[in-house]
Formats: sequence, structure tokens, C-alpha cells
Amino acid sequence: MKEIKIKTKNLSLYYGAKMALNSISLDIPEKEVTAFIGPSGCGKSTFLRTLNRMNDLIPNVKITGEVLVDGLNIYDKQIDVVNLRKKVGMVFQKSNPFTKSIYENVAYGPKINGINNRKKLEEIVETSLKNAFIWEEVKDRLHDSAMGLSGGQQQRMCIARALAVEPEIILMDEPASALDPISTAKIEELIFELKKKYTIVIVTHNMQQAARVSDLTAFFYLGELIEFGKTRKIFTTPDKKHTEEYITGRFG
Amino acid sequence: MERHFEQELEKLNKRILKMGNLVYEQVHNALEALLTGNVELAQQVVGNDNQVDRLDVKIDKLCQRIFALTQPVATDLRLIMSALKMNNDLERMGDLAVSISEKAEGISEYKEILIELHVDELASMADLIVKDVVNILHTKNTTFVKDIFTSASAIEEKIQSISARILDEMMHKTEVIVVATNLMIILTHIDRIAGYSTNIAESIVFVVEGRIIKHKGKFQQDAVSDVPL
Repeated sequence: MKEIKIKTKNLSLYYGAKMALNSISLDIPEKEVTAFIGPSGCGKSTFLRTLNRMNDLIPNVKITGEVLVDGLNIYDKQIDVVNLRKKVGMVFQKSNPFTKSIYENVAYGPKINGINNRKKLEEIVETSLKNAFIWEEVKDRLHDSAMGLSGGQQQRMCIARALAVEPEIILMDEPASALDPISTAKIEELIFELKKKYTIVIVTHNMQQAARVSDLTAFFYLGELIEFGKTRKIFTTPDKKHTEEYITGRFG
Repeated sequence: MERHFEQELEKLNKRILKMGNLVYEQVHNALEALLTGNVELAQQVVGNDNQVDRLDVKIDKLCQRIFALTQPVATDLRLIMSALKMNNDLERMGDLAVSISEKAEGISEYKEILIELHVDELASMADLIVKDVVNILHTKNTTFVKDIFTSASAIEEKIQSISARILDEMMHKTEVIVVATNLMIILTHIDRIAGYSTNIAESIVFVVEGRIIKHKGKFQQDAVSDVPL
């Protein structure tokens, strides 16, 4: 059994008076891929965002309960959010490159973390791009604008940018939903590779993608965690009728 | 709104039921032809086999299409996996009905021997096990699955006792060797029909409950369930 990397205890989240997450307790093991599935509005993205405190930026959000990363509650007052987000990287649905060169995009994180040595930066950029399976496609145009890359390339570059600050956990919010099938397949292959070194949590609407890439699947509905277990179990013989109805598309 | 996918599954369900009914009819007629020596009925069974074969291919193709186009999961996946297996088992039962019919003619003169050996009783048991399993296929009521296993065991015992008597006859009367050999082959076919019936019963449990109950004799029940997914 792998170590637990992230543990939530009775985590609830309110947008104003509205409860969006209802007492979620979940253990996410390290170096595995955990997928969150569920219909729109079920709380899966909200839950993902609690794992690196992205919801802090939204007004009127109230959070109760705990999120432990390596045993430390990330909502403790003494936690440095910048350090937390360095440890817990994030990739979004829509790739969001900075309007800078490919090199600058990837080097940005290490630079603000105080790395100035050019050779060291070059090394980080190369390793990160290689680990994100995009090095071969961009190595001859590192100083061209990142905006000139295709959607799929931009997304992999954003993953490289996330990797450059050496995170331990990568949160992915619908990372392939805006991509064509080939780019999607590349991202999925990449996820397989990345899980050797990183703990990955992915939100996806694409049920087959969850089935293909994840080791564990959590099914959310109306802010509640309905079922959590091994993906191979969830997609063959789920315990809850509700889960069964959702994954077979007989829902609502 | 009924989805297209549901219609496909319903179609599959209907075709499997149709296959079940058709094969039951074939087995029923084959056994009747055997006991009554009705050559016409035996020929009818042989002639109808192409209907079974056609339906077999239609079900295979439908399963292939559903797999390719809809990526089924959970209960839907189990249904399609099992449909393929049950289809195969039913088609084989159909072939055995044909083999019995083909042998029936040669045995027709020895009707009284069949009665004497209690082959008529065995035939009723075989008829009933197929009828019962097709019935479970319709109702999906798995509480009756255990009756199929009980019937299969009873059929096995009956076949053993009849075989012993046939062997005994063969040793004393060389003139019965040909008919006795044919009869032995028919007994084997009936044994296989009962075996396929239990396979189908196991598949129905897998569809309805997600449990794997096959190989229960060889392994402990839990050992089979514990095989990792």
C-alpha cells in the first residue's frame, strides 16, 4: 500500500450560504493517479481547488475541516501559500501560457524561486520540457513565443512549466478537454509517465479518460463523495447504484 | 428519452432470449425424435440449425458493434461479455441437438431399450434443465440458479448409471455394440448440454450480481472472488 500524500478530513466548503462540499474525507495515495468524476456542479473542481488553496481567491468562501498534505494541514495559519503551490502544482482546462517565449514560460517559476544561474535554468527548462514530452518539438525554437504553439503543445508546455518548480503533486482540471484526440492521447501518455514521480489528481468529464489513466476514482454528486475506490472496481462492479447509473450514462 | 444505447442493449437482450428459445426448441425436438424415432422431426432439427448459426453471428456482430461504438462499463459491460459467452454456449447446445438428431434414426428400432435403460427419464431431465435455464434468462431471477446445478448433478448421476448398464449389455451381446456405441455418444451429448446449461446459469449470475461463481468445485468460492480485477 502506498503512502497517503493528501488526506482530507470532513472537508466542507460554502460559497456564501450555499454548501458546495459536504464533509469530504478522502485519502489520496502518492505516485498514483486519482480521478474525480461527477456531473457539472457536483463539486469535483471545487474539491480539487481546495487541495492547493485556489479557492482562497474567491470571495465569501468558507472552508471547514482539514486538508493534510504530508500530514500538515494546509489551512493552518503558518502555512506559506506560495510554498504550498510550489509543492502542489496545477494545470488548467485551457492552457494559459504567458505571452513570452517558451523558455521564459518554463523558466519563470524557477526564476521567482531565486534561481538565476543561466546554465542551471537551461538545464531545468530542458528537463521539464523533456519530462512533458514536448522537448523534441520545441528545442529549436525555445525563444519563439509560446503563443505560436498548437493547443496541445501549449498544454504540454504548461505541464512543463508546472514541473519546473519541482512539485510533488500535480492537480489537473480537465487538462485534455479542449484538445483533439491525438493531443489528448499524448497528455494521457504523459500522465502515465508522470505518476512515476508525482502524485496526480485529475478532474475529468471524460469517463473513459478517467478509466484509462487513473488508479483510483472518486465519484462526486451534489457536493458529496458518493464512492471512492480502485478505478478497475468502479468501472466494473461499483458498489453504489448511483455510481453505476452515472458511469453507464443512465443518470438524471 | 430512451437513448440509442439502451435500444442496442435491449436488442441484444431480445436476441439472446430468441437464441435461448430457439435452442431449447432444437434440444426438445431432438430428444423427442430420439425417443419416438420420428425421423421427420430429426430432419427438421438438422434443417433448423442454420437459423441458430445465423442468430449466433448476428449476436456476435451486435456485441462487436456495441463494444466498438459505446465503450460499455459496469453492468453494461458484464451484459455484453456474458452475451458473447452465452451465445457461444447456446450455439454449441444447438450443435449437440443436431448430433443427437442425426443419431436418432439409427436408434429408432430400439425404442424399448431406451425405455428399459431409462433414457426417457434422462431426456426429460435434460429437456427440463434447458427449459429452466432459458426461463432464468428471461426472468433474470438468480434465486433459481442453484436448481440448475442440482439438476446437472442429477443428470450426471443418471448418465453414469445408464452408461454402466450399456457397458454391461455390450459385454454380453455383441450384436448391440453399434447401437450401444451410438447411445453412449448421445449420453455424452446430453451431459454436455447439461454442462452448457450450468455455464449459462453462471453467466446470468455474473450479469445480474457481478459475481463469478464458475469453477466452484475446483476452488473455494472466495478464492475465485479474490482473483484480482
